[in-house]
Amino acid sequence: MRTFEEKLKFYRLTSEEYQKAKNSLGRDLLDIEWPLFSALWSEHCSYKSSKIHLRKFSYRNQNTPNLEGENAGVVDLGFGERIAFKMESHNHPSFIEPVQGAATGVGGILRDIFTMGARPIALANYLCFGQESAPRMDDLQKGVVHGISMYGNCVGVPTITGQTQYQSQYNQNILVNAMAVGYFAPEQKMARARAGGVGNWVVYVGAKTGRDGVHGASMASASFDEDTESKKPNVQIGDPYYEKLLIEACLEVLSKDLVVAMQDMGAAGLTSSSFEMASHGQVGLEIDLQKVPLRDPSMTPEEILLSESQERMLLICRPEHFPEIQKIFSRWNLDSTCLGTVREKRQVVLKWGSETLTTIDPDLIVEKAPRYERPYEKWVSAQQVASPSEVNWNLFNTTAKARPLNWIYNQYDQRVGTRTARDCADPIGMVQLDHSKRGLAVAVGCRADLMKMDARLGALDAIYYPSFQMALSGAKVMAVTDCLNFGNPQKVRIMSEFVASVEALAQAAEELDAPVISGNVSFYNETLEQNIISTPATGLVGLRADVENLIPSRFVNPFESVILVKYAWAATNAFWAHQKNQSARFYLNAEAKPAEFILSCVGLERKIFEKSISVSSLRSVSLGGVATTVQKMSDQGIVFKAHPQTVEADLYKDELYQFVLTTSNEQETIEFLQDYFSEMSPFLSIQVVGQTTQGA
Amino acid sequence: MAKKVGVIRFLGTNCDFDILKWVQNKGQNSEFIWHEDQFNTQDFEALILPGGFSYGDYLRCGALAARSPVMKSVNEFAKQGKPVLGICNGFQILCEAGLLPGALIRNDSLRFKDEWAQLRVVNQKSYFGEKLNPDQKIQLPIAHGDGRFYADAETFKKIQDQNCVWLKYEKNPNGSMADIAGVTNAQGNVFGLMPHPERAQFSWMGSTDGDFFL
Repeated sequence: MRTFEEKLKFYRLTSEEYQKAKNSLGRDLLDIEWPLFSALWSEHCSYKSSKIHLRKFSYRNQNTPNLEGENAGVVDLGFGERIAFKMESHNHPSFIEPVQGAATGVGGILRDIFTMGARPIALANYLCFGQESAPRMDDLQKGVVHGISMYGNCVGVPTITGQTQYQSQYNQNILVNAMAVGYFAPEQKMARARAGGVGNWVVYVGAKTGRDGVHGASMASASFDEDTESKKPNVQIGDPYYEKLLIEACLEVLSKDLVVAMQDMGAAGLTSSSFEMASHGQVGLEIDLQKVPLRDPSMTPEEILLSESQERMLLICRPEHFPEIQKIFSRWNLDSTCLGTVREKRQVVLKWGSETLTTIDPDLIVEKAPRYERPYEKWVSAQQVASPSEVNWNLFNTTAKARPLNWIYNQYDQRVGTRTARDCADPIGMVQLDHSKRGLAVAVGCRADLMKMDARLGALDAIYYPSFQMALSGAKVMAVTDCLNFGNPQKVRIMSEFVASVEALAQAAEELDAPVISGNVSFYNETLEQNIISTPATGLVGLRADVENLIPSRFVNPFESVILVKYAWAATNAFWAHQKNQSARFYLNAEAKPAEFILSCVGLERKIFEKSISVSSLRSVSLGGVATTVQKMSDQGIVFKAHPQTVEADLYKDELYQFVLTTSNEQETIEFLQDYFSEMSPFLSIQVVGQTTQGA
Repeated sequence: MAKKVGVIRFLGTNCDFDILKWVQNKGQNSEFIWHEDQFNTQDFEALILPGGFSYGDYLRCGALAARSPVMKSVNEFAKQGKPVLGICNGFQILCEAGLLPGALIRNDSLRFKDEWAQLRVVNQKSYFGEKLNPDQKIQLPIAHGDGRFYADAETFKKIQDQNCVWLKYEKNPNGSMADIAGVTNAQGNVFGLMPHPERAQFSWMGSTDGDFFL
């Protein structure tokens, strides 16, 4: 028997939280209630440290209906088409067991999408690893990539874009964020996550419940210590084959209108799915835990409630529809079992056969979870702000190369679905929408080098930069999802960076008219007091009129002029300071309006095509400057040669935002660009920096 | 009457809709056939076994699918000399079912590989291969973890003697024996290839060379 103190520690509740739970119940917690509060009041499930700040993402437009309490955000694209999308972290499990941790991250985010009735059409990922020399790092990165590849490829959803970074601050806490995009064809209905209809059945479908992932949610809400090995049983095991069957079966019952509500059993498994569905639907549920299909019949009620076994869903249906649901699931080789019923009285009754384990108001656990306003300070840009003359450009050398990441992307199936128009080799991904044949652009963002220097600048860039990359491919950003990876929120510095990041993301989203409509917060990315770089990763979707005539992002022809277009908002040596292990500095032009420049770029590509301007390739300039970018553009032996007048060091400057293009008609293109961007001067400059040539 | 192509769906097939759309885009009728069902061979002019991960690649790629009820009809269909095409996992299934020679084993890199591959046509065959000319170069994407073609010495000799080599990689991506990317049976009516022609239908996909197959 554990003492009271030991229980608090085991279930990761503070004594204040215990008091709060006790007061709301009017009595002490029963043994079976400890795990319920532990899971649903964990940071992971309750967002207790972040919720008051996430309200800053309230901006919406006519394309983004407010869907509080649903599994993912939805964007109305017109022509009857809608998409659901979301991004989620699986950092802690991936560090403990990289293959399964990353694989189940992909599985979980896919379920959030198809549980709404949308067919998943694209995946993206955002990965941060430590230095290659760090312990286990080689195995970690290979394992994570293998896990994503194994899962995504098998379920038949293409991975079309991603971002991978390496920094020492992730040595002991890697980041694995996965994004999924689902498609609703016209007429296709959206499924809800709220239980309803007194007397309706609560049905369990999918894989059987095992002991894997028990206490996973509360594990993901704590910092790491030296002992990660012993946490392996907290990591779930995924089977993409089951997921594929589950996708088909769930979409089939949803399309036949057999289901009232559906919810994935994700973090905190059956506990969170049942309590949240009841709370959102303002009804009660009665569930018999003895009816849950088990892998091991000796599992206890507590283990059943907290298991995070993968590929399971909970759905609500009318009793008369159950036989047909069962028939469809069995055709797909999946179990479906009725666990109980929907009750009018707003209580969740957990039973073990005829014995009642507990009767509890779901709102007490879901809606009345603790909310913390953790202390933070107002954001002041750090002392690194400098005038252009102070920025030490001499740090630059000319030998560094862009790190080749092909070994990662080549392991992802990028074309299954036959919608892919832009793959991982391009700066953004793009798929064709089935009905309207328009292009749906997908990109992820957040550059750790910039975050390390200034959280506000970095978070603005986390939306600006991918929007800019999309704009250069003719796509306008429509909406944003985020995955806010931060350290320990009980530390003032971390909380201050969190608040500054949220405010910056909200600002950029409003400026670009691209609401932040879904997301995830991952705190406690901390190991032995060492916090990660604050990393508000973003996932963006954008729209293009079609998928035809996209300008290549790599060199096509030799002996053409390379033109650099620059909008002067910020200049930094962040990337190179990182290479040299020196502190970064930046210069910010407060008058500049980067969002206006980005929006003005959206029509550029179309105009080039309409006016038949001879542009053969075009690409945004990444960190590492023009030099790194032209290296990425090199293709089929065609390489960049600097103009004799070009100052070499200038090619390595990181300036936000710039793009390069190649043309066979320098004069005409420059005149066209001057005219096109006439409203952007005085911040704009256009110059020829070199030419393409046939390499050795 | 327009031709009707049967598209076989196993549990875990994931290119099923891609193939259905591809055939329809080419102006032909197509229809799914469920793995548990048997069908009348007169109902279809041709069959396609799409790619994917049938039965989660458990045991061996294609091994479980090759033993499902629908394969009895597929066998009969093939024995009648009617055209059958297996793409990627479909190719693996046809090898496991003994309808095509050889086997497909783990890539030499031991990794899944997704990339564009340049292919060379070795033999022209009727139906799925009739638009291809010998020595023609085409561009198709590959996406597989187990695409390395292998045959024992005796089988390999037979494959060559009977002109069963259909397509070869210009640059071998997976360690395939003799750079083989696709084969046919000796009669020339059963086809298998690892690359995905359905992923090369429009120029925005990166190539239109998939057109040669339908």
